[in-house]
Amino acid sequence: MAQVTLKALNKTWDDAVAVADINLTIENGEFVAILGPSGCGKSTTLFMLAGIYLPTGGDILFDGVRVNEVEARHRNVGIVFQSYALYPNMSVLQNILFPTRFQNLPDAQARAREMAAMVQITDLLDRRPSQLSGGQQQRVALARALIKRPNLLLLDEPLSNLDATLRLTMRAEIRRITRELGVTTILVTHDQLEATTMADRVVCMNGGRIEQMGQAEDLYLRPDTLFVAGFIGSPPMNLIPLPQPGLDVPSAAKTLGLRPEALRPAASGLPAEVIHIEPMGREVLTTAETPFGLLRFLEAGTQPNWQPGDTLHLTYAASDTILFDADGTRIPGATAALKEQLRA
Amino acid sequence: MADWERLAQRSTLGRRLRLGALSVFLVAISIPIAVPYIWMVMIAFTSRRGMAETGTLWPALVVILAGLGSYGATYLWLRRERPAIAVGVIVALLLGLILLGQDLHLQNFRFMVNANIIEELDGQGTAGGQFPWVWEAFANSLILAGTQTVIVVTVSTLAAYYLSRFSFRGRNTFLQSLLVLQAFPAITLVIPIFLIVFWVGLLNTLYAPILVLTALELPFFIFIMKGFFDAVPWDIEMSAMTDGASRRQAFWMVVLPQVRVGMIAIGVFAFIKGWEEYVFVNGLRTGDSYWVMSTYLYYVQEDVMGVDYGMVAAVAVLYVLPALILYVFCQKYLTQMTLGGVKG
Repeated sequence: MAQVTLKALNKTWDDAVAVADINLTIENGEFVAILGPSGCGKSTTLFMLAGIYLPTGGDILFDGVRVNEVEARHRNVGIVFQSYALYPNMSVLQNILFPTRFQNLPDAQARAREMAAMVQITDLLDRRPSQLSGGQQQRVALARALIKRPNLLLLDEPLSNLDATLRLTMRAEIRRITRELGVTTILVTHDQLEATTMADRVVCMNGGRIEQMGQAEDLYLRPDTLFVAGFIGSPPMNLIPLPQPGLDVPSAAKTLGLRPEALRPAASGLPAEVIHIEPMGREVLTTAETPFGLLRFLEAGTQPNWQPGDTLHLTYAASDTILFDADGTRIPGATAALKEQLRA
Repeated sequence: MADWERLAQRSTLGRRLRLGALSVFLVAISIPIAVPYIWMVMIAFTSRRGMAETGTLWPALVVILAGLGSYGATYLWLRRERPAIAVGVIVALLLGLILLGQDLHLQNFRFMVNANIIEELDGQGTAGGQFPWVWEAFANSLILAGTQTVIVVTVSTLAAYYLSRFSFRGRNTFLQSLLVLQAFPAITLVIPIFLIVFWVGLLNTLYAPILVLTALELPFFIFIMKGFFDAVPWDIEMSAMTDGASRRQAFWMVVLPQVRVGMIAIGVFAFIKGWEEYVFVNGLRTGDSYWVMSTYLYYVQEDVMGVDYGMVAAVAVLYVLPALILYVFCQKYLTQMTLGGVKG
């Protein structure tokens, strides 16, 4: 178990910058998710932590000790790849035992069985990886990564190859296991649901930089940047370019963010014409044409209240608005109220 | 409903007829390819006067066609493989005994037990010591093909791994030149190779054909092996290295078992290439310094006054046998070989 610190870490490939100036400290036993679109540098960061890539600049510290040049095999890091990367020429048991072949562990067999029991695959130990389902392979990969009691567990999009129900189970399973072992864990994902449901802390990355880090709630309610605002939340936040006639905003504000659930139909307000309706189970997502452009709003209920072509008025509470300046940075405390003439 | 039954019957009948017609067609076009081999075997086992007789060829063809025909008919009737093969073999054996039983003998194979066959054929002192016992040539052929196979498999595996996994200056040029080298017929190089071998002092030794054949075969086999390595996922290797393996251990324990099929395939091809080689074997010796099977076969028909075609055919049968056995046992690996790499 270790505390992990990244100091001004960066990685460039020829001229392309993959990771630029990452500063991050992960506490012992913490579960951190690195969230971002593909190509944002999150996997590169993970591979640098594992020792597969050498950083171009900056430092990686495990418990305060610089490990930049330490080879992957000496870092005592467990990793689960997106493809699980099981060894096809070995049985499940041999796969789980593989990391112990390089250490002198007298209780390797017992430990392998303990790991297998923890990930619930005790009856599959003699099979070959090709005879397992995706979820089972995932569990084997997890057991293999954990058998040497790693300082750090790295998960590279571990759930993206599973179907939706299995993903739900494995999310809880992984969280249970890491909590049981108290292992410091870093999860890399492009799925915000995975990040927000599993992690103690979410780090949102874009273009090789950290956009924002904090609790999932912080990122959702108080996105620091336009990118985070647009990336987190499904359906995504409505982003309205400013200025707009009928909106009272500070002059620095260039974009207004408004979550779909913050908009609601009312007797008066922004005139809107319904374009498209998507029932989503507990809620109905409606897209409407307004003077501010296309806006999406969510209403509770299983049945749609509207038909395409219906006209209505939309309103919101000024406290639900988020304003961004020209650089895409949030202006703290600023709100945008609808002007009276639109309310009529 | 009755109509449907009739249609189903008609369709079954049609399918069987089409399959039957197809089989007959395929047998017909394979006759020109198969007949020379059948003839060779028949001469080897039946010729008594040293002539290329056709007397036993026709009954042999009848036996083979009857066997194939009864196999096909039984298969179409029963739709099961084993009984059909049994029927075919039994029919062929019975018919063979009746038609050819008295003609079969092993006299033509006496060169295998008589170390001095040339004296027996041409009389005392005719070509004393010039012509070896066949097993000497056989052993030399084994050494040539075997050594050459070991070198080709080792070198092309290591080279292909490097080409597949590492990027270095000149990698693309190297890969392209591997292919370009294949465009030149090796025979155009006979004279320069002879001179080089002469200057190096390897003329009239088995090292010469071993090294020359190895050099000529390597480019193509490196290319094939690279395809196999390209198909092994990168993250399996990285996973092994984070599990504690060094790069070399990862290569041995995880990567190599997955290209086993490729190694067997190129091994078989390299062996057969070395086994059948004539040009560079005959071209790199000035006298009778070493004998291999191909030169032995050539001189059996060239040097013996009044060629004994019965014995030539018998030598040919012995010559073909190892390659044939190798093909039969390694067939399933050879079919997996494509330029692109591995299947499944």
